[in-house]
Amino acid sequence: MSAVHPIAEQFETREQQREADSLGTWVFLATEIMFFGPLLLAYLYGRTHYGEGFAIASGHTHVGLGTLNTALLLTSSLTMALAVRSSWIGGRRAVTLLLAATAALGIAFLVVKGIEYRKEWEEALVPPFRFVFSGEHARAVEVFYWLYFLTTGLHALHLTIGVALVAWLALRARRGEFGPHYHAPVEMTGLYWHFVDIVWIFLYPLIYLLERWR
Amino acid sequence: MNPAPVRAYVGVWIALLALLALTAGSAFVNLGAWNSVANLVIAAAKALLVAAFFMHLRRHASALVRVFAAAALFTLALLFALSGADYATRHIAPVPWSEPASATQSSSR
Repeated sequence: MSAVHPIAEQFETREQQREADSLGTWVFLATEIMFFGPLLLAYLYGRTHYGEGFAIASGHTHVGLGTLNTALLLTSSLTMALAVRSSWIGGRRAVTLLLAATAALGIAFLVVKGIEYRKEWEEALVPPFRFVFSGEHARAVEVFYWLYFLTTGLHALHLTIGVALVAWLALRARRGEFGPHYHAPVEMTGLYWHFVDIVWIFLYPLIYLLERWR
Repeated sequence: MNPAPVRAYVGVWIALLALLALTAGSAFVNLGAWNSVANLVIAAAKALLVAAFFMHLRRHASALVRVFAAAALFTLALLFALSGADYATRHIAPVPWSEPASATQSSSR
């Protein structure tokens, strides 16, 4: 498999092919932004109209676990970016290890997220299945947790897909499929991985950090 | 490809973790409305670092790819601006939070 990878017949050069790969992936990511965008707009609406309830709700999230998860995901972006870099210059062992580390960090994130979900279930903060909250702002708190589960759930689904892709790439990298002649799958999956990281970068303060000083 | 040295990537990662510490730390200090501003500005800075260096928009992307990335953000801004203008200028009556009319009332219509 380490033979020189041919370029597709519609392209003149390898650079042109990479350009088309990148452009297509960015168009896909643009549609993904519109996938998450309306949820963020709903959040903005709730935060501006029911600010007090959202602040109370945010106070019930687990900020320590959320911060740990942010650090895990930022680190996974480093290992992913280094995997792409290694695939450019042809470090077969480095690409394999870095991709495996990326997938492992993604799995660690999902485990922590699962622990959080379990705590929220025990605290009865899971609309509509198990939600008990009293007080003036109970309905706004419920809206916040609806958005919490929709956004983090959609994010976790994306990350699960990312972990599966990266793990598959790690197996292919071990067989020596990637190198200076052929690295588009690593590079394009990397763009997707970083996008999922960026979504979390915005979710983190919106979910965990509202009026923490109280 | 002529990639940046590994230490450049590690430097970006350290900057990202420092920004994470800054946003988490500042959230525990009462800055009023500036808490939200700090959180969002720091999130935007982190996203920019990831896009520019880890997604290679800065050194290994053509102008066309950058324009496509910017167009995605522009479309999101359109969504927020147009929908936001609607919500911001509309009066909200407190009805949605109230209980529905009882069965006896609906039967006596």
